[in-house]
Amino acid sequence: MRRIIITLVLALAAIGCAAAIASAVGGGTSITRARLERSLPATFANQYVQQAALLGHTGITPASLQAKAMCEKGGPGMPDKGPGSDWICLVGWQDPNVPMPPEGYGKFELTVHSNDCYTAGGPSKLVGFQTINDTQGRTVNNPVFEFDGCFDPNGDDQPTGNSYPSVLQVTSTVLSADVSGRTGVQVSCGAGANGCAGVMTISDGTRSLGSVHYDLQEQATPTLSLPQAVPVDAQELTFTFAPSTGIAPPKPTTIPVQR
Amino acid sequence: MTNLSAAEKRIITAGPAPGSGRTAGLGAVLVWELRKLSSQLRAKLVLLGALLGPIPVVAAINAQAQAPKDTLFGRYATTSGYSLSLLILGFAGQWALPLLTSIVAGDIFASEDQHGTWKTVLTRSASRTTIFWAKVMTAFGFATVMVAVLSASTIAASVLLGGSDQLTGVSGQLMSNHEALRLVAESWASTLLPTLGFTCLAILISVATRSTAAGIAAPAVLGMLMQLVGSLGSIAGLRAVLLSTPYEAWHGLLAAPRFTGPLVDGLVVSAVWSVVCLAVSFVLVRRRDITGG
Repeated sequence: MRRIIITLVLALAAIGCAAAIASAVGGGTSITRARLERSLPATFANQYVQQAALLGHTGITPASLQAKAMCEKGGPGMPDKGPGSDWICLVGWQDPNVPMPPEGYGKFELTVHSNDCYTAGGPSKLVGFQTINDTQGRTVNNPVFEFDGCFDPNGDDQPTGNSYPSVLQVTSTVLSADVSGRTGVQVSCGAGANGCAGVMTISDGTRSLGSVHYDLQEQATPTLSLPQAVPVDAQELTFTFAPSTGIAPPKPTTIPVQR
Repeated sequence: MTNLSAAEKRIITAGPAPGSGRTAGLGAVLVWELRKLSSQLRAKLVLLGALLGPIPVVAAINAQAQAPKDTLFGRYATTSGYSLSLLILGFAGQWALPLLTSIVAGDIFASEDQHGTWKTVLTRSASRTTIFWAKVMTAFGFATVMVAVLSASTIAASVLLGGSDQLTGVSGQLMSNHEALRLVAESWASTLLPTLGFTCLAILISVATRSTAAGIAAPAVLGMLMQLVGSLGSIAGLRAVLLSTPYEAWHGLLAAPRFTGPLVDGLVVSAVWSVVCLAVSFVLVRRRDITGG
């Protein structure tokens, strides 16, 4: 028994030493932004071609899609490397059957495992839901809704330079003004390069209520305070965006006021 | 007198001196070890399990309404037999292969302790070196046969009982059945290297602890521990040197374009583990004092 304990202690000590050496020497992970940005579009394109075949869309090849991805992990300021379920990849591609939104990409959510394999979930509004109907009317699994892939841990790690802008959206559905007429509007700045910046102009339909400069990090949902009090007779407010960075709603957004 | 004690010492520690009577060659000792192995019920049960075990596993996964999507190749396991065989390969590497090889390798030295037969074995006309290598070769041979039987049985059961869809690779590409069969076979074959590594680890543990229980259980537990450590992101550098990592090197074969870097790394890692474990075991066996029993 003593012999077994001594052996186990020695084995654990050896593993500990190896861990110390490994973390001192390398410590680097093979899971990087650049490798995902190369692997995901290739895997996506292969799956997308299968979906196109099921849907009866012709003329779609992996090359014709020209898929590109920009990936990041865990929000702004977090290093874009290592395993985790908080990877986001913005993927743009060209398919005449499915027009891209104005920003030119869809958001994929990835769980990346330490064994250099990942599971990617596609944006339903662009790739459809879990099941689709094929050309013969059968309900079949949608290969792009969720798919697995693996990448080469020794693959090219040079930055791809792929970049997509963040999208600013207004998330408030109603504005609650306090007794003095103060209120704010909640916006969300989605994942993308460099966040969202620009000028938001406010009016109540007839009067201008000033403007607000905004400069937001990506993946944030701040509330922008309005510079002037809301007039007592205002029923709704209209917000117009002039973005300098990122994408903003192209048309003015109107939100009702509640007191 | 000094000459005599030197000779005595030599006989005790290293078997008979060269030229002093007949010494059994490696072949003879190997045949003897194989005979011992083939009369062991445990070894036969392992091979029978490797042959028949995959059939109920394949049938059970096939009967699932929901495919095990959280595991690689699980997504299409119920619709593609090739995918199913790769799903099972993922689990085999996690604990089954280390355990199955250890059942023989973790016992082959320790059984001599268990039965108190070291004295008998070592006073026969075979050197410790010869006996050591004969036992190692027997364990290696068993591991190879076990991997071959388990692979063939799993692939055959999966392809015959599983779905007929084409295999989807790890780059999302569809493969022809002919290509899929070849890649699945290659993937299973690639697990032989780390399995031989675990064979050596089991030999080391059984030599060091002189306990069959430790020799069989410890490598399987260590294998699962390595899987756990390897799945932690914070110590990614350590993952490269773990003996469990080569069990996942086959992923590259299923990619388009295929990559073989992890297989080469796995070969080096398995070889280093094997050589280190065997070297320590060899020294322990050579230096071991059996006069005390």
